[in-house]
Amino acid sequence: MIMPLLKGLGITLSHLFKKPVTLQYPDEMPEVAPRFRGLHALNISHDKAKCVACYLCPTVCPAKCIKVEAGEDENHNKYAAEYEIDMLRCIFCGYCVEACPVDAVRMTQTFELANYKRADFVFTKDRLLEKK
Amino acid sequence: MVNLTIDDKKVTVPKDATIYDAAKSAGIRIPILCHDKKLHPFGGCRMCLVEVEQMKGRLIPACTTPVTEGMIVKTTTPEIINARKLVLELLLLKHPVDCPVCDAAGDCDLQNLTYEYKVNTNQFTDEKFNHKIDYENPLIERDMNRCIHCGKCARICDEIVSFGAYTFINRGIEAKMGTEFDGPLNCEFCGSCVSVCPVGALVSRPFKFKARWWSLNKVKSVCSYCGTGCQLTLGVKGNKVLTTVYDENQGFHNGQLCTRGRFGYQFVNSDKRLSTPLVRKNGRLEPATWDEALAAVAEGLKSAGSDAVAGLVSPRLTNEELYLARKLFKDVLGSNNLDHSAGYAHSALSHGAMESLGFAASPSTVTDIQKSDLLLVVKTDAYETHPVLGFEINLGVKRKGVDLRVISDKKGKLSRLPKAKTYVYKPGNEILLVNALAKVIVDNNLTDPSAMGVAGLEEYNKSLEGYSPAQAAEVCGIAAEEIIGLATDYAKADKALILLPLGLGYPGHDKALAQALINLALVAGKIGKEGSGVLIMGEKNNSQGAVDMGVYPAGNGKGATDIIASCAAGATKALYVVGENPVVSYPNRKKVADALDKVGFLVVQDLFLTETAEKAHVVLPACSFAEKDGTFTSVGRMVQRVRKAIKPIGASRSDFDILNELSSRLGGASFADSSQVFVEIAREVAGYNGLTYDKLGDEGALVPVAVKGRFVPVAASPVKAEAGKYALVTGSALYHCGTMSRFGQGPMHVCPEGYAEFSREDAAVLKIQDNDLVKLTSAGAEINLKAKVNMRMPKGVVFAPYHFGEESINNITDGSPVTWVAVSK
Ligand code: SF4
Ligand code: SF4
Ligand code: SF4
Ligand code: SF4
Ligand code: SF4
Ligand code: FES
Repeated sequence: MIMPLLKGLGITLSHLFKKPVTLQYPDEMPEVAPRFRGLHALNISHDKAKCVACYLCPTVCPAKCIKVEAGEDENHNKYAAEYEIDMLRCIFCGYCVEACPVDAVRMTQTFELANYKRADFVFTKDRLLEKK
Repeated sequence: MVNLTIDDKKVTVPKDATIYDAAKSAGIRIPILCHDKKLHPFGGCRMCLVEVEQMKGRLIPACTTPVTEGMIVKTTTPEIINARKLVLELLLLKHPVDCPVCDAAGDCDLQNLTYEYKVNTNQFTDEKFNHKIDYENPLIERDMNRCIHCGKCARICDEIVSFGAYTFINRGIEAKMGTEFDGPLNCEFCGSCVSVCPVGALVSRPFKFKARWWSLNKVKSVCSYCGTGCQLTLGVKGNKVLTTVYDENQGFHNGQLCTRGRFGYQFVNSDKRLSTPLVRKNGRLEPATWDEALAAVAEGLKSAGSDAVAGLVSPRLTNEELYLARKLFKDVLGSNNLDHSAGYAHSALSHGAMESLGFAASPSTVTDIQKSDLLLVVKTDAYETHPVLGFEINLGVKRKGVDLRVISDKKGKLSRLPKAKTYVYKPGNEILLVNALAKVIVDNNLTDPSAMGVAGLEEYNKSLEGYSPAQAAEVCGIAAEEIIGLATDYAKADKALILLPLGLGYPGHDKALAQALINLALVAGKIGKEGSGVLIMGEKNNSQGAVDMGVYPAGNGKGATDIIASCAAGATKALYVVGENPVVSYPNRKKVADALDKVGFLVVQDLFLTETAEKAHVVLPACSFAEKDGTFTSVGRMVQRVRKAIKPIGASRSDFDILNELSSRLGGASFADSSQVFVEIAREVAGYNGLTYDKLGDEGALVPVAVKGRFVPVAASPVKAEAGKYALVTGSALYHCGTMSRFGQGPMHVCPEGYAEFSREDAAVLKIQDNDLVKLTSAGAEINLKAKVNMRMPKGVVFAPYHFGEESINNITDGSPVTWVAVSK
């Protein structure tokens, strides 16, 4: 009768000396997997966003949360005059990254997206370009 | 008929069919790149290769090979697939494959086929093309690096448009689709080449990068410019009409459009659109609520009293709206003072055809053009007023061998068609010439037996005294033999069709001219047969509908001219202008402007703050055709559906809503929507009986007519030339229609302002050159226009288009067919 009780207490006692599994977030940060799909970022090449405004990502996006408006630059090339992702709707599926023919968009390891205002969840081109 | 087997299916097709046609009729798809159903077979791309049992050993192109009895065709063997892959690999070798930034992506034959045939490697390597891209052209961007040399652009421009802007230059791998001396494109800008280009080598510049093809909502509708009634598909995204989408299966014209239809849609989303009602307060037009504006209009119209209220309504409205307008005036306001198009521009139909044929429409239809043996076109301007009917003429002449005769006061594009004959008369002598033609027929016993039974023949024959070819020749400047020759050929042709374009720029194309022409057709027995008759071409998209709906004065009502006069005299106290812009488009600008200034209460309902709207007491913002449902009736009586593509811009309302609301405010009937009005139209309007929106479908429906012809003698009025002056004739420019196209960027890019055309001889005497500013003076008024010098104008004749508000031609015209002007530099 007493033995099983002691056994149980023993297990409990042993845990006091083991490393805890709980992560003390936000004091401790988790290690994010390399292929984690977090906040998007727009890639840059030659000081410009690589995006050519092909509209493939807004087309493929199942949540319809990407907005692209194309513009014509001084060399008559196509570029994204506007590029916006609404993070409130994004389901982090990564299709946009997969669809992009010019490797212009990627997903970072940033997962802390909480904010106070709805408008702050809309990531404009400028905000997406800043992301590392 | 020929029997053959394609992929184990038995097919029976006419003997002039190709293998491609036969397969298509059996529902078997053979891929094509250079073939187009509208064009002659070309056989350039080899994408359509198939195998024929009887011609074993090689693959043959389906698009150029005619069918033969007992043929056994295979369309997809491994060998064929490999051959097609090879074709694609070779095309992709030089092609830049810049699909992500190419506007054709999604609607590109090369892209689709590459995907379908899974061509993802290439056994060859070579450098890409490095041609200079034409970014300068405001309407058509040409990137010859993307060109796959299908030749469709050159063929359509030659075969259908008859302009011939392109040709292949250089040979072999250097070959390139080029323009004249490889220079900039300077053409009619109909956009036909853009629409058929299978890749993105030719793209619409106004639409460049605006949206992806697949993201466009495609709404089928009808062009709202001229009366041809071309069907078009609007490409819509986010409540904006961004482009027109080509659909080769639309309408009699197979999706062909002119500059206006193809590139002139921007007026719909123009930022100049009125977005709120305006009411004049302390002399200024101030924004107001609908309630305020409509209350003011209802009160103003009612208090004027039925005799002193009048309306000018644009034939750009839908049938339903025109019907409502008529009802509002007749039943609610009790007034018959209602008209459109300055009166004269519809009188050929509303009075001419009405009296002579028993109905106010053309006895012929658009499809008669290609079925005819001889076309007698009144003025080369028929091409400018109705460009896509011009394409029909081109096709008739070039493909069907139609004999084209043009009687005109100048030469024009039609004169340059193969074997076309243009008879150039001195301006204003149309009726004289037509009567002389009839005289020849009568005197040479060419009167058709069918004319014998037609009422008024004897009287008509008598009225032709004094129109002998010799007498006419002296006045109109065409040799008597020519007149006799033309009349004889016309009378002897099995099927002969007369084309008469109408318009605000053509005051001479009125009731009298239409009747003279109908008389001619009757006496030659040309009415009531296929490919024959008279096609009276109303100017605007719904000119025919406006006449059908009775938007012209009945009984003692005042017509447009009288309305303007009575405004000036103070007898008309309230004038309701819907969509018309009389200040610019009616003759005698000063008279019209003064009259409108005198009206106690002027309401203008329009898309824009036009020159007329600026004078109004209340301005009501209306909707464009893209924002409403309804029907238009085109030249040749085709009723077609117009479909709502976007929501009204700003606070604007459709003319339907406004008229409906006014009617109910004034105690008249009100309708739930346009389809309800159409039900009433189908009940009340002759010829529309039994029509419903469902029955119209995508094709539209032809309004039937029963000809009860009679001769109505018409006398030619003499043209009094003024010594030392030039004969000014007005009309339409190819790129414009009415005054609305001024708000379309496409037309304004190519033709931004008015001009005056002179012959070389006159230019030499006057010492003027292209683009010099010339002063035209008549009756004390003057305008300054840029000169264009060319070979088409005869000596002593000046042509100027009307459309434009600045230096508008109606400053010096007064509604007579010819205005005598002094010209100075
Ligand atoms: S991750 Fe998925 S849902 Fe989010 S933007 Fe990309 S495609 Fe859309
Ligand atoms: S798919 Fe890539 S290039 Fe295309 S719009 Fe999206 S980010 Fe830009
Ligand atoms: S726009 Fe029309 S006229 Fe000009 S090149 Fe193209 S098809 Fe020819
Ligand atoms: S420009 Fe277009 S239509 Fe013309 S040949 Fe090249 S691919 Fe064909
Ligand atoms: S303006 Fe006339 S000819 Fe041109 S596309 Fe429109 S309806 Fe057709
Ligand atoms: S489609 Fe037959 S050869 Fe081009």
